[in-house]
Amino acid sequence: MTRTKILFGLAGIALAYGLWMAFTAPPDALQGEYARIINIHVPSFWLAFLAFFVTAFGSIMWLSRKRQRWDRLANSSAEVGVVFTAIGLVTGMIWGQAVWGIAWDWGDPRMASTAVMFFVYLAYLALRAAIDDPVIRARRSAILGAIAVIQVPLVYYSVNLFRTIHQTQSIRPDGSTLPDEMLVAMLVNVAAFTLLYIALLSARLEVAKAEESAETESVLAGDAVKPPKISEVKDV
Amino acid sequence: MSFWAQAWEVARTDIRIESRAGEVFKVVTPFAVVALLVFPIALGFQLSVVREIGIGVFWALSILFGMQIALRQSAADSLERRDVQALLGVDPAARFTGRVMSATLLTLGFMGVLLVAMTLLYAPSLPDGWAVGLIVTSALMAVGLAELGTLAGELTAGLRNRANLASLIVAPLAIPLVMGASQSLEALARDESILPWVLLLAASALALAVGGVALARPLEEAAQ
Amino acid sequence: MDTLACLEGVGVSLGGSPVLRELDLIVSASEIVGISGPNGSGKTTLIRALATLQATDGGSGTILGKKLGSPAVRCVRPRIGLIGHAPGLISELSLRENLIHISKLAGIDPNRVDHALEVVGLRGASDRRVSAASYGMKRRVEAAHLLLRRPDLLLLDEAMSGLDSNGVDLIRAIVESTVAEGGAAVVVSHDVDHLSRLAQRTLHLEAGKLRAGE
Repeated sequence: MTRTKILFGLAGIALAYGLWMAFTAPPDALQGEYARIINIHVPSFWLAFLAFFVTAFGSIMWLSRKRQRWDRLANSSAEVGVVFTAIGLVTGMIWGQAVWGIAWDWGDPRMASTAVMFFVYLAYLALRAAIDDPVIRARRSAILGAIAVIQVPLVYYSVNLFRTIHQTQSIRPDGSTLPDEMLVAMLVNVAAFTLLYIALLSARLEVAKAEESAETESVLAGDAVKPPKISEVKDV
Repeated sequence: MSFWAQAWEVARTDIRIESRAGEVFKVVTPFAVVALLVFPIALGFQLSVVREIGIGVFWALSILFGMQIALRQSAADSLERRDVQALLGVDPAARFTGRVMSATLLTLGFMGVLLVAMTLLYAPSLPDGWAVGLIVTSALMAVGLAELGTLAGELTAGLRNRANLASLIVAPLAIPLVMGASQSLEALARDESILPWVLLLAASALALAVGGVALARPLEEAAQ
Repeated sequence: MDTLACLEGVGVSLGGSPVLRELDLIVSASEIVGISGPNGSGKTTLIRALATLQATDGGSGTILGKKLGSPAVRCVRPRIGLIGHAPGLISELSLRENLIHISKLAGIDPNRVDHALEVVGLRGASDRRVSAASYGMKRRVEAAHLLLRRPDLLLLDEAMSGLDSNGVDLIRAIVESTVAEGGAAVVVSHDVDHLSRLAQRTLHLEAGKLRAGE
C-alpha cells in the first residue's frame, strides 16, 4: 500500500500547485474567466487517450503473454479512463455552453471521438461484467481491446476529415489567445493529472489483485454436491 | 479442405439457414421499415424536412438495424456446434470469413429493400451520380458492418444479455462506417470528391478484416 | 502399446473454481476406459479437456501425440470424435443436410452420407428437420457423424442416455469397431453397470481426481 500512498501524496501536491496556478494566471483575452476550465478539460482528455492506449497495450500483451497481470492493467486503466473521459466531456460541454452558447461542438474531433471512446470503454466494462470465468473474461476483453485500437484511430480520423471539409468554430478552449501563464498552468495540470492517473491505476490494480484471489475458490466444484439424505426425505 | 472451400460452405449454410429462419427479411427488415414510418410521424409530417432527412435516416437505420443481421440468433452457434466445428478442423479464420460473406450479402439485401422503401416514403432529393456512389458506399458499409457484427457476436457468444451487449460494442465502433457512407453522398451533392470517404470506408473494412482474421483463433478459444 | 491420450497432473478451473486437480490419466490404443462419478464431479470437463476443447491450467498432457495447449493440437482434432450432452446440430437443416454440411467442412465425400444414415436406421427420416426430430434421432445422427469421420479417439459423454436398446447397441458397435481398429474410447456415464459391461477398466472421478472404480 505504501507505493500507492506515496503516489497519491505526490499527485495531491501536484494538483494543489496546479490549482493555484490555474486560478492565479491572468484571464484569456477572448474567453475571459471561462478559459480556466481548460485546466481540468485538457488534462482529462489527455488522460482519456492515455488510459485507452494503456488498455489497448494491456490487451495486446495479454493476448501474446496470457499473464493475468496484463488483464488487470487493461481493466484498471479502462475503469480509471472512463471516469476521466466523462470529466473531459462534461467540462467541454460546460465550456461550450458558456463561450459558444451550445454544449456540443460537432466540429471538434476530440469531442466526438472521445464520446465514442467513452462508449467503447462502457462496452468493454459491460462485456467484462457479463462474464464470470476470469480466463474467458480476460480473453474476450483483450480481443475487444485489440479491435478498439484498430477502430478508434479511424473514428478520430473520420471526424477530423469532417472538420477539414466543413468550416467549424475557430475559438477552442486551448486556442492561441491563451496567455502564457495559463498555458504553463495547463501543462502543470496535465502532469498533475497524469500523476493522479498513475496513483488511481496503482490503487485499482491492488483492488483487482484482491478481487482475483477472492474469486478463486479453493473448494473443488464437485465437492459442492453431497449425496442426498434419503432417510430424511419424509421429514422435510 | 481449403480455406476458401470452408469459408464458402459456412457462408452457403448461413444463407440456407436464413432462407428457412427468415430472421432478416421477415423480422429485421419490416421492423426497419416501420422505423422509416416513425420519423415523419414524429416530425409532424413536414414534407420538406422529410425530403431533407431521407438519406440520413437511411444510413442511420442501415447501421442500427444492419448490425442486427450479423448478430441474428440463427447465426449464433451453440457451444456444442462450436465443438463440432473445432473437431472437424474448421479454420477459425475461414469460419469468420464465411460468416462475414453471408452477413454482407444479407445486409446488402436488407439495405436494398430499405432504400426502395425510403425513396417511396420520403421522396428524397438525391445528388447527380448518386447511384454509383450509393452502390460503392453501401457495399463497403455492408462489409464493415458484417465484420464488426460478426466480431461482436463472437465476443458475446453465450452471454446472458448478448443482443444488447453486442449492439453496444458495434454502435460506437461503426461511426467511421456511417460517417464515410453519409459524407460520400454529401460530397457528391457539393460536387466534391468522394474519394476520401470511400477510402475511409475501405480502410475500416480492411482493418476489420485483418483484425478479424488475425484474432479468429483467440476468439475461437475465448468462446469455448 | 501406443498411448493415445495422456494427462499428467492436469488441472481445470471453471469460473474461478477448480474442477479437476492434479489429474492423471493414460488411455492406450485398443482400450475402452469408463469414467463414472457423481453430478458435478467434472466428468464433462474431463471429456472436453481430452477433446482439446477445454483450456487446462497446470500439468501437461498429450493427445494423439500432440502437446495439450500447443497450436499443433489443432492438427489432431479431426481424429477426435465427441458425443456430448447435447447434439451440436443446426436446427433449421434436415438430418441429412446436417451430415452433408459436416462432411463438406471435414473434407469427406458427401455421397457417403446416405449410407451412414441407412446404417444408423434413419434413412426414412433423413429429410426431417432437426427441430422436428426426437432426441434419439439426433443421437443417431451423431452416431452417423462418427461413422463418416471414423475418429481414432472416441469421447462419449453420457452418449447412451435417452437412447432405446437399438441405439445403445449402435453406439456400442461403433465403440467396439473403433477399438478393434487400434483406436480408443473414453466413456463417461453415471451408470456404473452400463460402464462395467462396456469398458475394460472403470475409473471413478471424485474430488477432482481419478481413482480405480469399485
